[in-house]
Amino acid sequence: MSAADTVRTLRLGFFYMLLNLKTIYRQPAAVFFVVAFPIMFLVIFSSLLTFEIGIPEEAGGNVPVVKFSQYFVAGIMGVAIFGTSFNLLGTSLAIQQFDGTLKQLAATPLPRTSFFIGLVGTALTYTFLQLVIMLILGVAAYGIDLPDASGWLTLVWIVLLGVPAGCVLGIAITKIIPSANAAPAIIQAPFIILQFISGVFFTLASLPSWLQWVAGVFPLRWIAQGLRSVFLPDAYRYAEPGMSWQLELAAIVLVVWIVVGLGLSVLTFKWDRSG
Amino acid sequence: MPPAISISGVTKRYGSVLAVGAVDLEIESGQVYALLGPNGAGKTTLIEILEGYRQRDAGDVSVLGYDPQRQRGELNRRVGIVLQRSTPMEGLTPREMLNFSARLYDDPMSTDDALDLVGLTEHADRRGSKLSGGQKRRLDLATSVIGNPDLIFLDEPTTGFDATARRQAWEVVRGLTDRGATIILTTHYLDEAEHLAQRIGLIKDGRIIFEGDIAGLRREMETDTRISWQPPIGFDRAEMLTEWSDLPQGADGRLSLPTQTPTVHLARLIDWAQNRGLEEIPELQVERPDLEEMYLELVDDSQSLEQADGS
Repeated sequence: MSAADTVRTLRLGFFYMLLNLKTIYRQPAAVFFVVAFPIMFLVIFSSLLTFEIGIPEEAGGNVPVVKFSQYFVAGIMGVAIFGTSFNLLGTSLAIQQFDGTLKQLAATPLPRTSFFIGLVGTALTYTFLQLVIMLILGVAAYGIDLPDASGWLTLVWIVLLGVPAGCVLGIAITKIIPSANAAPAIIQAPFIILQFISGVFFTLASLPSWLQWVAGVFPLRWIAQGLRSVFLPDAYRYAEPGMSWQLELAAIVLVVWIVVGLGLSVLTFKWDRSG
Repeated sequence: MPPAISISGVTKRYGSVLAVGAVDLEIESGQVYALLGPNGAGKTTLIEILEGYRQRDAGDVSVLGYDPQRQRGELNRRVGIVLQRSTPMEGLTPREMLNFSARLYDDPMSTDDALDLVGLTEHADRRGSKLSGGQKRRLDLATSVIGNPDLIFLDEPTTGFDATARRQAWEVVRGLTDRGATIILTTHYLDEAEHLAQRIGLIKDGRIIFEGDIAGLRREMETDTRISWQPPIGFDRAEMLTEWSDLPQGADGRLSLPTQTPTVHLARLIDWAQNRGLEEIPELQVERPDLEEMYLELVDDSQSLEQADGS
């Protein structure tokens, strides 16, 4: 691939992303379910559950006290990072496979790589917007403490690896979707299960070990754990499996998902199921 | 100029069903070529092999010098495709869609020119969800020609249209031909092929059964005038067969004689009747079916795909 081809591929990927952003932005239902849902969860949970967690020194403990929302924001941001890409791509690609949109696109000179760059870019943009809104809301309304410098760095790479990993699963799940109408239901089922077993609402340690193993195969568990390292005091790592944030392992799992998963799902991707 | 399309021995099966059977075809550059045939005749399979959507089982294909199966990326830069079904793009306006499409090509026409070509200028900024079926179809056309393609595939461009919308679509297609592109059109309407195409390939059961211009098709299909009559009582068909080697008998018992020289045959028939003292031949008819009628007859008895190996 020549330099000119690479520039063209990136340029067209960018414009395809813009087209996608515009299409989604004009579908109120998509915006609500994908973008507003996690934010709504943050608002509801943080408003209802105002207690604090931790064991202060005066009680003989050494677990710093934080608001519940400080714990919850990590999980719900994980849902936003993984879920936006997974939901958005899974649903819209399945619909476009069946209604002929992708068939028509496959007849154009849009490079395949640009297409996938555009998809990941779309998911990244919407995720970024969600996270910004969550952070502003969290700080302003629920007194969430912002991360330190290394925490920000962790947050950035988790987003940059977590979103493409979510996209991979979104592309992959289209294979088991039998019709456009079935798409939302089929995508919600694994998504809800993953939320409950990935340490988003309940701590990982409270799950049976086989469920922890199942969750460990998928990206959400690693994204959520990484985010807890961003938002919680370091002492909280003792509540994690292996008493560590396991950031290196998280990075490895996400990269494997992206490299192997994206390769496989792109190669076997169906452009046309409209016939 | 080399032909836009040159294929030989192209075959495609779905299981035991033969969809396209060893088709040879050459289509000159700058022509409008209509692939005409009933539903299920293999038109769409054949055109999708040319477009690169489907893999052939056998045969050679060259489209603008490319093999669509292996060089689709290069081919896509020079080809415009209008699929049978419109692309829904509810959220976007024609202008937005066309602006994006124009970026994909090396030497596109302007969005305004493309809108003008298909007569969508006044609806350019209306959301896709608010466009009528005909307007969407015109947008499909604009999207596929904005890259100034050398070859345009139109797969049943007017199916489901009312008469007015069809005439408007034909006008648009004629506008495209003025730009010098080769156009390949599939249709199951004879009059559409007649209005638009210089050459016609008639496809039935996966095979091209006629190729030529519309006048040729007319000659081919209208060669036979039909003389038919009800056999009189005591009539011996075997005796007639010595006179006429083949004399099909319809379900209603009528005998019919397709012929290119009706006067000669009619004289013989009358002779034969008079020799037997028959004053009137019951229900004698001499008729010349028109092109549309012959075509519909052909379409009628070929609703299903031919089974391979006679199974």
